[in-house]
Amino acid sequence: MLLDRVNESNTLLLLTNMKSMKHDNPAVGVLVNPASGRDVRRLVAKASVFQNTEKCNMVYRLLGALGVLGIGEVFMMPDVAGVACHIMHSLQYGRHGNPQKLPEVHFLEMPIEDGPVDTLRAIELMVNRGVGAIVVMGGDGTHRLVAKKCGDVPLVTLSTGTNNAFPEIREATVAGLAAGLVASGLVTAADVCQRSKVLRVDKNGAAEDIALVDVCVTSAGWIGSKALWHPESLRELFVAFAEADAVGLSSIAGLVRPVDRRSCYGLHLTLGPPGEGIMTVTAPIAPGLLAPVGITGMKEIKRGEIQTVAAAYGTIALDGEREIEFGGQDDIKVWLDVNGPLIVDISKTMEQAVRNHVFVKTEYDEHRRESAS
Amino acid sequence: MSELKKADLLKAYRTMREIRDFEERVHKEFATGKIPGFVHLYAGEEAVATGVCMHLNDDDRITSTHRGHGHCIAKGVDSIGMMAEIYGKKTGSCCGKGGSMHIADLEKGMLGANGIVGAGGPLGCGAALAAKFKGKGGVAVVFFGDGASNQGTILESMNLANIWNLPVIFLAENNGYAESTGVKYNVPTPNIADRAAGFGMPGVTVDGNDFFAVYEAAGEAIKRAREGGGPTLLECKTNRFFGHFEGDAMTYKAPGEVKRQREECDCLKIFAAKVTSAGLVTAAELEAIDKEVAALIDEAVEKALAAPTPTEADLLTDVYVSY
Amino acid sequence: MSRKISFKDAINEALSQEMERDGSVIVMGLDNAGGRGTDGQLDAWGGVLGVTKGLYGKYGDRVIDTPISESSYIGAAVGAAACGMRPVVEMMFSDFFGVCFDQMMNQAAKFRYMFGGKAVTPVTMRTCYGGGFRAAAQHSQVLYSVFSHIPGLKVVVPSTPHDAKGLLTQCIRDNDPVIFMEHKVLYAMKGEVPEESYAIPFGKANVVREGKDVTVVAIGWMVHKALQAAQSLSKAGVECEVIDPRTVSPLDYDTIIKSVEKTGRLVIVDESNPRCSMASDISSVVAQNAFKALKGSIQMVTAPHTPSPFSGALEDLYLPSPAKIEAAVKATM
Repeated sequence: MLLDRVNESNTLLLLTNMKSMKHDNPAVGVLVNPASGRDVRRLVAKASVFQNTEKCNMVYRLLGALGVLGIGEVFMMPDVAGVACHIMHSLQYGRHGNPQKLPEVHFLEMPIEDGPVDTLRAIELMVNRGVGAIVVMGGDGTHRLVAKKCGDVPLVTLSTGTNNAFPEIREATVAGLAAGLVASGLVTAADVCQRSKVLRVDKNGAAEDIALVDVCVTSAGWIGSKALWHPESLRELFVAFAEADAVGLSSIAGLVRPVDRRSCYGLHLTLGPPGEGIMTVTAPIAPGLLAPVGITGMKEIKRGEIQTVAAAYGTIALDGEREIEFGGQDDIKVWLDVNGPLIVDISKTMEQAVRNHVFVKTEYDEHRRESAS
Repeated sequence: MSELKKADLLKAYRTMREIRDFEERVHKEFATGKIPGFVHLYAGEEAVATGVCMHLNDDDRITSTHRGHGHCIAKGVDSIGMMAEIYGKKTGSCCGKGGSMHIADLEKGMLGANGIVGAGGPLGCGAALAAKFKGKGGVAVVFFGDGASNQGTILESMNLANIWNLPVIFLAENNGYAESTGVKYNVPTPNIADRAAGFGMPGVTVDGNDFFAVYEAAGEAIKRAREGGGPTLLECKTNRFFGHFEGDAMTYKAPGEVKRQREECDCLKIFAAKVTSAGLVTAAELEAIDKEVAALIDEAVEKALAAPTPTEADLLTDVYVSY
Repeated sequence: MSRKISFKDAINEALSQEMERDGSVIVMGLDNAGGRGTDGQLDAWGGVLGVTKGLYGKYGDRVIDTPISESSYIGAAVGAAACGMRPVVEMMFSDFFGVCFDQMMNQAAKFRYMFGGKAVTPVTMRTCYGGGFRAAAQHSQVLYSVFSHIPGLKVVVPSTPHDAKGLLTQCIRDNDPVIFMEHKVLYAMKGEVPEESYAIPFGKANVVREGKDVTVVAIGWMVHKALQAAQSLSKAGVECEVIDPRTVSPLDYDTIIKSVEKTGRLVIVDESNPRCSMASDISSVVAQNAFKALKGSIQMVTAPHTPSPFSGALEDLYLPSPAKIEAAVKATM
């Protein structure tokens, strides 16, 4: 059964549903992770502090950009951590003092459990609403959750978390423009989106979870405070891609043998104490935390090729956070899938917008617009 | 990740169980009218006190709040003395002169539960200052709640701890309520950890119902303090099952909220499920602890009921060392 | 060996000698050294009125400047005391106690009692008080009555350089929380002070001047005003017995009562406002215990029930004076 699923995914899904004409009533989803920026990596590494007030500022910048492109509706996830409330108040009282026309912001009707399940629910609801794009503000963890539920809705990824190997560090106004351009069809989505790879983790024969960048087997007994900062606990590392300039566990591979986001393979490394094995790499496994890690083995993994985890017990970290505890009776498998979420390439989007003259008006355009109406 | 051996896991469970049973029992006994004054119960928050105090020894100090029974037990204060104190008896930890809100045991480094919200901040800084002068790597932990996070003393203390690089951990127990007011109202972005940046120290939020998350993060913060790295603000999000004080009808809580929390967010249940499913501890071992603790609490109440009350002579003693 | 030094220097000497003797003594307060975090001189002030100058040079890290956050640093001193140190913390002006009183009243004062006798909190809180400097309402108050009201606190009010040094030394050695009150006007006053270290016990009033006709109890700066009045009255044949309690909590009522039993008349000179003042307290205790001895009604010479005025003309009317004391003495006769 596992092999069947693997074979299905081996075929690159074509973008058949993307319209290249301008959409009526385009809507965009904005998913802000209220929890990012205050986990234990503030203490055990030098991870940046990302206050909710800054996340709110970013949302206002997004809204301004989306409004300019004629996006009428934005759907957002409600939360009890202060982001939703802050934005609601500001929009209501015009506190941010923005005179531009903004889209209507609707907070999704859903229960709030103040945890990852909220993100999953919110994305499902946004997809059901037919949004043309989703802007995701968070780290690798948030994007990983979004990827589980977003289907083929293009994602604009904005980093506000700690491990940011996956999302881009971009300015929110431009990200908003890119999202608006894709959602409204002013730019052809097929031309500017790229499928990302996905690592799939199966536990005892059933699909358990996914990762967008890396899957790490550790000797830690517990999920605990989730982050990983003890290099001696790392046993095996699977990477979907590994950039040389990334921070996070994938840098262990990326500083030895970079793997492009577009290539059809990944890597599997077995790790050990520094000084042992075939080499030792000093890698930034968390912001500000450079650690020597021993590599005892490294091999390519092809898409669909099933890897069995060697360890008998421990925890599996997905994109840098411990998520799955496993023990003696559990059978853990990992495999690379090339059909992950669609990611909007912001640079390409803006370049296409230039070619389509989206932001430029001349008298001729005005004249044409008037005769058309 | 500091390796937790089986003995540590059993100790953690026992501490949490002792706090839980102590509080549940006080809840029952208070209703009989035999306990004077006010009590503020810690049930639901056990993982926080336990996860933190397991890293501390008798030379490390903690300051506490009006909701201090959990901190006392986690820091090693004797339950039998505590129960007698709550009943106002002469055999109490404070000879019956302090009561629930002022239980202390200076020998165990417990600088007292405190009836003044936020008062523990400066006192904890003082303890950390003393530890710094002593030079043996001692630390202080200031426990405070979401309500206290707005008190000037806490804000001032965070500044002081930063500029003097004090070995102190500001442990925010965010149980969502300051008396009957929600944290959403009192705190602008209801993550107290967000304030840390303004005071130049790391601010971390963890799930306070997960003993392991608290244990890990607290361990790092305490290690940092011991090594001279200065203060940390560690926020543990948790829940209190009972009211602000005993007698509080909790009408400010949504219907079914406490029931849901007892089912889904009970740190003891979560801990037990984890350690038994990982095969590290058996259910029988945990049950044995449950029995032992139940007997201890019974003993504490019996002894408290039977103990003598302080006399007139006790009224005038110990105002000063000498006058 | 004795020599004349100022009240301010006597305090400085007591601090220095105690810090020398006992490594657990630390000094804390606003600008107790001064100059921290600047490009200028360290020990720039040595306290706002220079009382702690020079200590930083001798004791370095044991002289700790604090930010302007009384609740936290007074509380830190209390906490450090409860953990084995002997901090001498300064509240720059006693008028500021409103900012931090919880740590003094609910914490320091009550630990020993609430914790069943198991806490020892040997903290000394130094503070300056009193009028005469045209410092106006928020910097001139006399608040020892408020502090004395709190069980668990001790309150010490020296009137001479000699007493300042000896009493401060006792404060530091004492195992209870003590508030040591320094009158601003007295800082410059010079007096005989032994070079060696000595401690004056609490609760022992000083009979500064013996007399048979009237007992005049005076506190702090008022002792000198009472002595002035006594000199003048002596010319008129009235001999005053001037008693300086030195510590108002504990207060040596016995010496006062004994004196009143001798003279039959009592005048109390207290710079504070009259309601619930030390003067009212002493009046009440004497009236209860020596009623039969009294030949005339008890007189209080205090400030009026107003805040301290700024204008010199008004402040001079506000403060007790030798003339007012003389009038009060006459009123007992």
